[in-house]
Amino acid sequence: MEESRDGDWTLVARKPYFGLPTACPVCLPVYIYLKFARCPFNLEINSAYPDSDQIPYVEGGTYVAYNNEKGGVIQQLKQDGVVDLDSEFSSLPEWVSMKAMMSSWLADAITYELWLGSGENSAKQIYYSDLPWVIGKVLFVKQVYDVKQRFNISKQNAEKKEEEIYDRAKAAYRALSTMLGEQDFLFENRPTSLDADLVGHVLFTLKALPEDSVIRAALLEHGNLVRYAERHKNDFLTSGQSSASASNFQPPPSAAQASSSSKPKRKPKREKTEEEKSFQRKAKYFIGAQLVAVLLFLSLLGSSSKADLDEDDED
Amino acid sequence: MAKPDEFKPDPPSENPKTEVDDENGDDVYEEEETEEHELDEEEDDEPEPQLRGRIPQSAVLMQQAKLQGLFQRLQTQSVPLRVHDVLIKGNTKTKDYLIESEAALFKNCTTMQQILEVSRAVNFRLQALEIFDSVKITLDSGPPELPGTSNVIVEVQEAKSPLSGEIGAYTKAEARSSTVEGTLKFKNIFGHGDLWDGSFAYGWDNLAELSAGVHFPRFRGASFPLDVRAFLLSQDWLQFSSFKERSMGLSVALLSSRNHDLVYNLGWRTLTDPSQLASRSVRMQLGHSLLSSLKYTFKVDRRNSPLRPVRGYAFAATSQIAGLAPDSRCSRFLRQEVDLRYAIPLGILNSALNLGISGGIVFPWGTGFKNLPSPLPDRFFLGGNSSPISSLGGPTTVWGYRTRGLGPTEPRRQLKSNGGDEDAADPGADFLGGDLAVTAFADLSLDFPLRWFRDRGIHGHIFASAGSLERLTQNAYKDFSLQKFVSSFRTSVGAGIVVPIQPFRLELNYYYMLKKFEHDRGKPRFGVTFSM
Repeated sequence: MEESRDGDWTLVARKPYFGLPTACPVCLPVYIYLKFARCPFNLEINSAYPDSDQIPYVEGGTYVAYNNEKGGVIQQLKQDGVVDLDSEFSSLPEWVSMKAMMSSWLADAITYELWLGSGENSAKQIYYSDLPWVIGKVLFVKQVYDVKQRFNISKQNAEKKEEEIYDRAKAAYRALSTMLGEQDFLFENRPTSLDADLVGHVLFTLKALPEDSVIRAALLEHGNLVRYAERHKNDFLTSGQSSASASNFQPPPSAAQASSSSKPKRKPKREKTEEEKSFQRKAKYFIGAQLVAVLLFLSLLGSSSKADLDEDDED
Repeated sequence: MAKPDEFKPDPPSENPKTEVDDENGDDVYEEEETEEHELDEEEDDEPEPQLRGRIPQSAVLMQQAKLQGLFQRLQTQSVPLRVHDVLIKGNTKTKDYLIESEAALFKNCTTMQQILEVSRAVNFRLQALEIFDSVKITLDSGPPELPGTSNVIVEVQEAKSPLSGEIGAYTKAEARSSTVEGTLKFKNIFGHGDLWDGSFAYGWDNLAELSAGVHFPRFRGASFPLDVRAFLLSQDWLQFSSFKERSMGLSVALLSSRNHDLVYNLGWRTLTDPSQLASRSVRMQLGHSLLSSLKYTFKVDRRNSPLRPVRGYAFAATSQIAGLAPDSRCSRFLRQEVDLRYAIPLGILNSALNLGISGGIVFPWGTGFKNLPSPLPDRFFLGGNSSPISSLGGPTTVWGYRTRGLGPTEPRRQLKSNGGDEDAADPGADFLGGDLAVTAFADLSLDFPLRWFRDRGIHGHIFASAGSLERLTQNAYKDFSLQKFVSSFRTSVGAGIVVPIQPFRLELNYYYMLKKFEHDRGKPRFGVTFSM
């Protein structure tokens, strides 16, 4: 793996959401690929440019690998010798066909579901939640229109196109599920970019799409794919997450807090416990003081009444 | 929103003999011969002789003497006269209130001289509305029961053609540089003096703007005009900073007078990098943002001429606050500019020493502002082909340095050559601008001995200028020191010839850099500056 000019690699991706380090279906496979390669990198968030085809990109010093060049970020990283997990498999026919299927059928299914299907709210959260409302609204409408143009969808053929996209996705799931079986990885028990694509796709479909999503329901029928993705999520995504910093143009709180999960919750509890202890301590003192006062009062009252009785007796 | 500074009609002359009537050149004094009003109690009550056939020369001479006496009295003595009523004629479409509000100055007149002066001013203001082909102001006698009063008759001829076009050079409130603009105007469609226009502008800094707007001279009876513009603007900074800027939105001039300007801007701004060569700092700023800002400008220019100031001073201060929207996700920053110019006449060969200093600062505000960068398009950039003498637009120019030619830079993206591991040719660096900018200059101008040059206003000048930029945002202010900032000043000197071509100032100069830094784009050379 080649070192960056400054020693630091940075992946610029879209914001984290749904428990994923980056909720964008295009950015997540790149993130996972770098994790598979055990390449140390920083994660930076860009929420101001949702319609850019340059994002995600990897930068290091004056080197930048944009997503809209040379077949994508991963392909560019391989070609430039930065990190290459596919050197032994990229010429295998099965590898090539699986890659083609993932980059066409499954990618189209995600795109359709996100913008024209049931994933509309997810799309808004991922891409436009950090933009002013007006801009987000206009960009969303423009993106929906662009997707319709890309799939050549009209009122007459909408249903047919939808059925075609879903059928292809289901066929792809069957093929991948058969090929994977119960292995850890698709090829020779070693991670490749194909695994990164597949894990990214499965995690996004399960976490980001709503429960009534058609492709989500189709994916859940293949338990081995779900287990495969969850296993790698626990191994690579949850432990030792790279630091994330929000794009400097956007308010930091939501992005920064989403990436670190449990620690912020403990602090309020600790403060509460200390306050409670202090309160309990003071309450005990108060009650103790009251008890002493009552005892004193009673004792004094008792002694004075006895003295009165003695005086009465003498009289 | 455009302020056609150069095309405003000259203010009315103080010469009491100047015509105040319409453009047909009718002399108000000529009309007074046939006027029925009484000017003075002492005025001769003898009826004027009718001009029929042959008139005795003695009568003519007497008439002339009377008129001369009248003029002399008007010039030297105060002739008490009040305005009883202002009558408006000729407006079929234009609302009365518009003309009445412009003619309101007549109410305070107490003498004939004041009425004549105000007549000129009102004529000028009505002509400036650009909705009348002609304006004629006539004095008539007041009601017989109210001696010492007069009626003012304002007769207007509305423009026959509501459509007009013009091409001109303007300095807009929002532009960073001067522009050449073509405009198509529709006048007075609703009778409120409204001017609707569509225009296309091209500026020197690769600025192209398409806009449409409406101007109300007195919106709902207010004493100041209202301008609303919708604009689509595109500016190409790829060569200097690897980004293109595109903006669309609305601009409302809330207050516009000689010294004050208050403008509200609401715009959607997008920065892109089609070249995909941008440096890291520029890449971080690409994308969409919403700009909702209020900009106030105070300007006073007491110089004898902005093109060749010989005496006087000028001061301008611009304050801008952005982020005025309930949505906290819009662009938020504070920006302040200050300009000061002073011209000292030296008395020989019409020479003058012009001194000037400009400063500006921009800083973001809001949650986490210390870690945020200032927006790239709103930073200060120094350099370009304009003269600092004419312009009062903040720190923009250091003589001799090319557009955006000095200040902090960052290396652009390095591409690998097709040959393998070797890097391709050096792509250069992006100029990032600064959050703090200061420029200063001194310019000595003097006439050439030859009359041919003097007659045309062509003169020479020797100058020196200095300027610097500094980053303050993203905690860079912690490393700021005045000594370091002063030591970062670039300086240049030069000499040249100035050719004033109204409304432009053309300079043909030779520049020499006394102090420059590694990436600065400036070198000893001949150059031309063009400004207004």
